[in-house]
Amino acid sequence: MTEHSEHANNSRIYLQPTPVRIWHWLNAIGIITLGISGAQIRFPEYVNLFGAYKSAILLHNAAGILVAASFSLWFFYYTCIARRMTALYVPNKEELQHGLLRQAIFYFFNYFRGKPNPHHPTPENKFNPLQKSAYLAIMFVLVPLVSLTGILLMNIAPLRELVLLMGGLKVLVGLHFLLACALCAFLFSHVYLATLGRTPMAYIKPMWTGWEEIEELHGEEGALKH
Amino acid sequence: MKRKKLYLWCIGWAVTAAFMAPLSVAAAESCMDCHGDVDAVGAELAIDPLRFDHTAHADLGCSGCHAVGQDHPDDGLSPSRAACGDCHQDISDEYALSEHAAGATCGDCHNPHAAHNTGAVSGMDMNRQCAACHASDEMATAHGVWLPQAELHLEMLPCVSCHTGSENYVINLFITKRPADPASGVPARGEPFNLVTHEELREITGDKDIAALIDANGTGTISISELRRFNGSSEYPGLRLKGMLTPESVTHNVQILDNRWDCTFCHASGGETMQTSYLSLPQPDGSYRRMSVEKGAILDVLNGTPDFYMMGATRNASMNLLGLVIIAGGLVMPVGHGFLRFLTRKNRR
Repeated sequence: MTEHSEHANNSRIYLQPTPVRIWHWLNAIGIITLGISGAQIRFPEYVNLFGAYKSAILLHNAAGILVAASFSLWFFYYTCIARRMTALYVPNKEELQHGLLRQAIFYFFNYFRGKPNPHHPTPENKFNPLQKSAYLAIMFVLVPLVSLTGILLMNIAPLRELVLLMGGLKVLVGLHFLLACALCAFLFSHVYLATLGRTPMAYIKPMWTGWEEIEELHGEEGALKH
Repeated sequence: MKRKKLYLWCIGWAVTAAFMAPLSVAAAESCMDCHGDVDAVGAELAIDPLRFDHTAHADLGCSGCHAVGQDHPDDGLSPSRAACGDCHQDISDEYALSEHAAGATCGDCHNPHAAHNTGAVSGMDMNRQCAACHASDEMATAHGVWLPQAELHLEMLPCVSCHTGSENYVINLFITKRPADPASGVPARGEPFNLVTHEELREITGDKDIAALIDANGTGTISISELRRFNGSSEYPGLRLKGMLTPESVTHNVQILDNRWDCTFCHASGGETMQTSYLSLPQPDGSYRRMSVEKGAILDVLNGTPDFYMMGATRNASMNLLGLVIIAGGLVMPVGHGFLRFLTRKNRR
């Protein structure tokens, strides 16, 4: 019996295990908090959602630690427990050669024509090639870098050598800010793409319950074919 | 009435000083014959003539504050000392009302034989006076209870920035140096950066004015491009610019001001504060000479002042714009795709 069949029944498939869902929503809360508190820290004259400036800093630090810990949980789970990090997040040769283009054509052309999504998620292959590439950049470059620069900025005096090694405080701050903006940009696209299911909540619900409706998915694709 | 007496005293002093200055200087030279030699009078009574000569007090001469008998020092009597308040009445009155007055006299914080104006004293030297009583590690612990990154704050600010009613802050850039490793001769990683002395800079610039180290075109002011060149250059290994937010004038009402608990007192943009900066160059007498730096240098994106950044206050406008473009890029998908999605919704029914 394959893992897929273990986690599937007639109408739905268990796509998002509990640790992954916990990680995802911790990340969501953490990143949104980081974005808003970060805006207050950089633009205190215009943003004041958390009262005192110090509150924004403390909240930003706490949320940053939460996201960094959540990232570690995700990394540990997929690398050591599920052992599916590479399969899930690294596009294979076929996906790089054809899958990326195929998926891009779907999103930017065939979707509007009512054609079906060429990718069918399974627990072993949850992400389409475009998702894989995006998540690879986000999770292996963006999040680690923004976390590391944040940790350095939280500890400038004790970690001064590393700050100097990176070119100074301004390089560090600039990098942290631009990476955070990139993460914010990703967030908008991420939330929008999550609404591209048959109903706006079709892809969001599984991230809460763990189960994705297969019939609905296929029903949608069936409908799209007509 | 009291003020009138003070004016009369000042006028009288000024007239006397004008006529007696040559005599005072000559007398001072005579005093310095002994008091300029630490071996002759001991460390406690010795005065560094180089440092004293450049103070405002030197113009008064030794006799301006001290009176000695004709048989000095054989008479065994200690010379009289003028009270600081005789000249600095306003400051003395202001200080007397502060909590600090009960714990320290003027001389505990100021050496009258090496006293300079605020702008001619480095923030580190100011803090050194405070640390004589308020141990740095204890202060870091006490401030750490409420102040994020307390150690960093104490390192980058003179204590008087928050603990007096001082205003009109500017940013002073000091040249610091990391000691070289004796074996390799290269700056030793991990060692602290210390203020560089005039003599150390002289070793680098030779016969040239030490300002030439940064003021390459010799205009007497520092441009942002000159700062970038200095900061990006590998010509001076171990040298780095350290910025400190220092008050332009220091008051003596030592206290804990309520508005300093609010981080946005410093950490908010606006006004001229973050636009005005100086390069402070060490002088042979231990004081500092300030050179104007081009306005906005502190806000430069990367290399103007790579180690000086105050959250919320010295953010760079170009960086803000770039961040906005990146965020707007993230909206292209939801807005553009969403619009087409709406127009083609019939195809997916």
